[in-house]
This record gives sequence, C-alpha cells and structure tokens, in this order.
Amino acid sequence: MKPSLGAVAAAVIGSQTMTTNHLLADDTADTINGLKQHIEQLDQKVRILERNRELEKETADTKPKDAPKISIGEKGFSFGSADGNFAINLKGVLQFDSRTFFRDGGSKGNDGFLLRRARPIISGTVFHDFDFLFVPDFGGTSGTVIQDAYLNYRYKRELQFQFGKFKSPLGLELLQSDPDTSFNERALPTDLVPNRDLGAELHGDLFDGCVSYAAGIFNGLGDARNSSNADFEDDKEFAGRLFFQPLMKSNLSALKGFGFGVGGSYGDSSTVNELPATTGGATPGYTTDGQQQFFSYRNTVVASGKHWRVSPQGSYYYGPFGLLGEYVISAQRVQTNSLNTAALKNAAWQITGSWVLTGEDASYKGVVPAHPFDPSAGHWGAVQVVARYARLDIDRDAFPLFADPTASARSASAWSVGLNWYLNRNVLVKTSFSRTTFSGGGGAGTTAPAIITRQPENVLFTRVQLAF
Amino acid sequence: MTKRNSNKRPITFTAALALSLVCSFARDINLLNVSYDPTREFYQDFNAAFSKYWKEKTGDAITIRQSHGGSGKQARAVIDGLAADVVTLALAYDIDAIAEKAKLLPPDWQRRLPSNSSPCTSTILFLVRKGNPKGIKDWDDLIKPGVAVITPNPKTSGGARWNYLAAYGYELKRAGGDEARAKEFVRKLFKNVPVLDSGARSATTTFIQRGIGDVLIAWENEAIMAIKELGQGQFDLVAPSISILAEPPVTVVDKVARKRGTEEAAKAYLEYLYSETGQDIVARHYYRPRLESVMQKYAGQFTQLKLFTIDEVFGGWQKAQKAHFNEGGVFDQISQANR
Repeated sequence: MKPSLGAVAAAVIGSQTMTTNHLLADDTADTINGLKQHIEQLDQKVRILERNRELEKETADTKPKDAPKISIGEKGFSFGSADGNFAINLKGVLQFDSRTFFRDGGSKGNDGFLLRRARPIISGTVFHDFDFLFVPDFGGTSGTVIQDAYLNYRYKRELQFQFGKFKSPLGLELLQSDPDTSFNERALPTDLVPNRDLGAELHGDLFDGCVSYAAGIFNGLGDARNSSNADFEDDKEFAGRLFFQPLMKSNLSALKGFGFGVGGSYGDSSTVNELPATTGGATPGYTTDGQQQFFSYRNTVVASGKHWRVSPQGSYYYGPFGLLGEYVISAQRVQTNSLNTAALKNAAWQITGSWVLTGEDASYKGVVPAHPFDPSAGHWGAVQVVARYARLDIDRDAFPLFADPTASARSASAWSVGLNWYLNRNVLVKTSFSRTTFSGGGGAGTTAPAIITRQPENVLFTRVQLAF
Repeated sequence: MTKRNSNKRPITFTAALALSLVCSFARDINLLNVSYDPTREFYQDFNAAFSKYWKEKTGDAITIRQSHGGSGKQARAVIDGLAADVVTLALAYDIDAIAEKAKLLPPDWQRRLPSNSSPCTSTILFLVRKGNPKGIKDWDDLIKPGVAVITPNPKTSGGARWNYLAAYGYELKRAGGDEARAKEFVRKLFKNVPVLDSGARSATTTFIQRGIGDVLIAWENEAIMAIKELGQGQFDLVAPSISILAEPPVTVVDKVARKRGTEEAAKAYLEYLYSETGQDIVARHYYRPRLESVMQKYAGQFTQLKLFTIDEVFGGWQKAQKAHFNEGGVFDQISQANR
C-alpha cells in the first residue's frame, strides 16, 4: 500500500517539526549554558574586582602604621617614628609657691611668691636603645641652670649605662621626682646627700624590677650641692644604691608596695666646694623645711680627705596609705686654715606618712585622681593628707673649731603637716605647715644661720603645680 | 592550747613570708614569636603546650604572643624594630635578611638547631574546586587559558616564593634546564593569577571564602586544613607530579632575647618543637614532622610525591632570591611582560 500524499506530507512536516523542535531545544540549552558561563565569568570578574579593592583597602589601612606616631595627652607630647626607634617627648614642670613665715624674729625678705621650678623637659630615644634627657630650669633663685642632661644606653632593662648630669644614686626622697614629693620641700636628710652630679653610672632593674641597682663614678659634691657643668678637682666620688621590692610580683597585695635598700658614697675631696655652702643667705647648705640655712661651716674650713655617706631607706605603699623613711650619715674629714683637722659625722632621718582621703592609691610616683576635677559632674579630684617628722644632728666635734656655735644650730627637728589636692594628673595644689626647732645657734649675728636659728621656724607653704 | 597556737603564728607567718619571697622570684616571661601566615593555629596549640611544660619545669609563667603575616613582610618588620624573641618564618632567606641587615643574630644561625633549624617540612600542592571542573592534574594545567590561579605575591610572601620556585623547577626539569622556557612558563602562570595576595592565608581566603579562581597553589598543611576544616566536601586536593621540599626554619633573635632577658626561654621554646610533643602538634597541623616515629603515626595524611630541594635546583636561597625575587629579577621581568 502506497502511502497517500497527505500522509507523506504529514510525515515530512511532522519529522521536520520534531527536528526543528530538537534543534530549538539544543539551541536553548546551549544558550542557557553560554549564559551560565557568561554569568560565571562576570561573577568571577566582580569577585576579583571586589577582592582586589579589599586588598587595596587593607594595604591603605596598614599604611598609617608606617607613619610617624604623634601623641598628645596628660603625659606630655610625644612624636615617634613608626618603628619606635626614634622618639622625642616634650614635658614640663611649673611650680609657683607662696611662703609665709610666722614669728620669724625680724628676718626680712623671706615671705613672698616664688617661681620654684620652671622646667621644660625634653627626652627621647635615638636608634632604639639610646635615651636622652635634657632639663633646663628657669625657676628658683640661681638663674638658668641645667638640671639634667644625660644619655642612657639601654642594653637591656637589667644593664644600662648613663653618662652626663643626673641625680647621684643615694637619697630616697631626693631620687623621687620633684613633682611627686609629699611636701613642697624635701626633708632634712636630703641636706646630707649630693644632688645632681656629673658622672657615669651603670644601673638596671633585675628580676622584673624586684631589685634595682645603680653604681657610678662622679665628680663628687658637698652635701646638698648641685653640680655646675665642670669640675676643677682630680678626686672623684663613687656612689651606689641597691633597692629591693621583693614582693612586688607576689600575690600578697598588702606587701607588694614594700621596698627597702641602702645607698652610699665614698670619695676623697679637698676643696671648699666639697662642703655644704659656707656662707649664709639663699645659697644652698643645710637648710630647713623653709629653705633657710641653719648650719654652715666657718669660712676658713675646707674639705680635707675622705667623705663617705650611707643611707638605709625604705618605703611602703598599700592602697591609700604611704610611708617613706630614710636615715643618712655623712662623714667627712675637714680642715681649718690653721691645719686643725677632724672627721665629722652628721646624721639625719625622716619619716613621712600619707593617706589619700578620696581612696586612690598612694605611690612613690604620686597620686592619680580617679575622677579629675570637674565640678559640673560632681568630681573634685583626689585629696591626700601628709605628715612628716625629721631631724638632723651635727657632729659635736664641729663646734667650736669648724662651725660657730653661736650662729649654727647643733641640731634641727622639724614636723610638718599638709594637704595635697590633686585636681587631675597634671595640676596639684599643696599646702603645708612646718615647724622647725633648733638647739644651739641663735647668737647675735644678723645673717643666716644665726638669724634663722634664733627662734623656731614656722612656715606656711602653698604651691600650685603644673606637671605633664 | 591558745598559747601554743599563738607561738606558732610568728613561725607560720615567717615561713609564709619566706616562701612568698622565694615565689616572688618566679618570673613572668613574655615571648614574641614573629611567624608567617598559615601557622596561626599551629602555634596557638604549641604555645599552650610549651607554657604548661615551662611552668612545670621552671615555675615561671610564660606568655607567648604571636604575630603573623607574609614571611618577607614579617622579616622586614623585625629588621625595622619589631622586638621578636624568636622568628619562625617560611624560608631561610628571610631570616638571613634579618641577620644581614639588622645584625640581630649570627649569620650561621641555621646550624644551631637540628635539620637546618627546620623542625618540620612541607610541600606545595593544589587545591581545586569539588570535582576538579577544570581537570587540573599537574603544573602545566595551570598555564592553560581560562584557568584562574590563586597564589600570593612572592615579593611579600614566603609561601608564594615556594609556589613560584616549585613551578619554575617543574618546567626547568621538564625542559632539560632551559631557563628561557622555565621563565616563559612562570610568566604564563602568573598571567592567570587575577589576585595577588600579600600572604598565604590571605590567598586561602581569596580562594575559599571569596570563591575566586579554579586552583589555589598552597602549602600542604594549608590545603589539607582547608579541606578538613574550612570547606568540607567543597574542595579536592591535587598532588602534582613533582613539587618542592619546603623547610620553614626557626631561630632565636639573639640581640632582642638577650636584651629582654628571654634567651633561655626562647631557646627552650624552639627546642621543644623537636620534642615528641612538639612534633606531634606539628603533625596534627598537617606539617610533616622530622621525628620518624611521629611521621609513621601520621603517614596516612600526607601524599607521597616526588620532591626536589631548593639547593639542588636553584643552588640555595641566596641565589634563588637574587635571580628571581630581587629588584629586576625574573619575577619583576615577567610581571612587566604581563602588564
């Protein structure tokens, strides 16, 4: 049977339709696959662009780490390289005092305002391990002086070398930073230790700071003297100090702040500059809490041989309570112009207690108020009460050959009480009253020390301090 | 009774005080380990183990801080003053640079610990997407058009330099030492790299989390970790016919450790990497341990493949660095050609 034309036509049309449909289906699948691939490629491109932008942002974010670091805050102003190898810090201390003496027997010119310290402080680091400090002082009564100027090489915390002008490692209160002392002026034992001297020192902290040591060679200074920028004597002085805070890393919180140690010096000296100042007036020497001279050697006396000092010392801080004590012996051979000699041993001690009424922690480095002064927020800073007793005894053999018993005191005893108001970390107001009594001295002279030792000294001190 | 007790009190107090005095000399030690990118998790585990060991041995509490980044970048940070007690970097050249430029350790530092101061080894493998859609089997598949390869920047990443040298060494061997062919091979390979991350971990992020590329050239440990922990069932590991033996080295940074008083602890820290415990942690993090007993224990997790060393193909790191990665080297030349 032959197929009809219609059937053939229908078959042909049918098969063509099927083929077309199949082809159409293949085309659609290819198109979809192509589109899929295209979308995937686009998706990859978008992802790549986003990731590259993300990486660029990461790179940009890390760039500031390479930029110099600038810091301005309560600890001063500092600029440093990103790697920490170079830095410079700008700080300062300004102390404006008022001193008022009561019943001072006619002493003139000792009441008034005083710019006690006006010190820009420049410190920094070069090449990571070399630190420096430069402190000129435009305050006080001696004109502009360089207080500190030294270079310190930090090989590591345990081993450091310091060269230049800085505090001799001896007196505990003297080594306390000027803005951090409990009272406006340091106590009588500071009369027997050297202040800043020129020299070289090896120092460091061992066992995470549990032990501190310092040992150095210096030009050598008379008691309470500050070095000039040169020395015209061959003899040198050795000074050193060892201080322990054995429990500072322990869990015994009540004993963490306990420290004790000993400082000492040994030298040979033969000039008048190796004695405390021999003239009266405002020059340093053995001075009272009111900074008035109560003892001087006769102006015919010079240092003439061995000079040694020893100072056991300790401090204790626990919560708001603080205690600091030290004892100093300064023994020195002296000689008159008539060649009379003697080895004189002067001694002094002090004990200072403090309590922060507002509850902050007391410390050797001062008090940081929990809430800085801001009356609108009801914050008033921190308030601390302080009390101190100190005594200094001159060797009996100093009189009458080496010191005038009618002018200089044989001993001085002083008690002081005070109130310190820490407005914030930088601003402090200190008020204190000190009374110093003397034995000996008080003769008919019209200058210090006679005019000072004639009656007890009563002085009201007030200080406004900016330190940053 | 009461009296006896009160007599004992001062003795007890004195004993407690004496004990606390002794105890107070137990030190708190801080170490900084400056390492390369993919070692974060490994050193977290290892540090915990070492701290415990050191406390038991000496009584000292030790805290180990970690810093991670591209190996070259990390070396530069140490040269610029980052106070690392130890460096654990991706390749010896980066530590050589610290010795040479910053003089923080002696030039022969690599002789101080066993196995050239490399407590473990690793190699370079491929990580591909599940089912390996681009059919990547060996290095020459990476230069095919349309294959997107993820590898970090050899200028900043130690891992990337291993990757580059593995590829270069493959072609050099195949071409019978023809440097021009090897150079052209890596040029084509880097032509296929759409993103140049600064470190190996960053490149892993690009491939796994950002979903970019068809293949990641990776440290073996990073690749295994990615499969097991980051993208279970999403990736396959491909071992090429040949790869490079990577020996990431470690050393104490003498001057820093001496200054910080951490020499003893830093030395012990690195030596502990060679101990059985240290080697076990090494293997658990998919690095190949040096200790045979530990290697046997973990042998199943490592692919067996032919490895060449940098010394035999490139004459050591110094030569390889100079020829390929320094200013104007082969990598700079191919980057310029690909622009």
